[in-house]
Amino acid sequence: AGIDLSQGAGRATEILCLMNMVTEDELKADDEYEEILEDVRDECSKYGIVRSLEIPRPYEDHPVPGVGKVFVEFASTSDCQRAQAALTGRKFANRTVVTSYYDVDKYHNRQF
Amino acid sequence: ALNPAKKERRSRWSTTKSFVPGMPTILPADLTEDQRNAYLLQLEIEDATRKLRLADFGVAEGRERSPSPEPVYDANGKRLNTREVRKRQELEQLRHEKIQALLKINPNFKPPADYRAPNIRLHD
Repeated sequence: AGIDLSQGAGRATEILCLMNMVTEDELKADDEYEEILEDVRDECSKYGIVRSLEIPRPYEDHPVPGVGKVFVEFASTSDCQRAQAALTGRKFANRTVVTSYYDVDKYHNRQF
Repeated sequence: ALNPAKKERRSRWSTTKSFVPGMPTILPADLTEDQRNAYLLQLEIEDATRKLRLADFGVAEGRERSPSPEPVYDANGKRLNTREVRKRQELEQLRHEKIQALLKINPNFKPPADYRAPNIRLHD
């Protein structure tokens, strides 16, 4: 409630955060996790150079930060902008994909 | 030799975009966890509500399709657990869980007008 979305995405970074894409159950299965990694990498590579990719996985019953989010590091902010424009609002496994830019330092410090 | 692991499979990505009216899919980076989670829950609730209204259950094809359960019939021989009925129940259950989760973050959230808590069957 009371979120101001009129300002749009804010300043672009090299990191794209993709939300509402994966459920905990899907991430638990090894073969499904590999397919998800592949789907994300293949699609993102169409819009820029993917330098790294992080999809936090649940670990038994421990709370793992960032589970449910997908983080993609692009080689440049313009690659990242292109990917955001192409991917936001698409469906992934029938869920609507929501995106935002993500802080570069937080990403590299694995603060998901 | 053929490598079965390399078998072509469909990507999870859709080719088209879907718009939920009034709910943009680009968020600013500086939202709090609660704000972001509340927004994502609201989007999923809106999405599920729209699918329920349009009877759009996205029945999966090919490998994603799970095996059908044994059919269950009512007294008149009408099948009760068709794919559509099961998909609708799954979607209603999912929406129920999201609504309950959102109410925990935002007690002022007003659930959609057609929402009923499950296990209260108005038909049957």
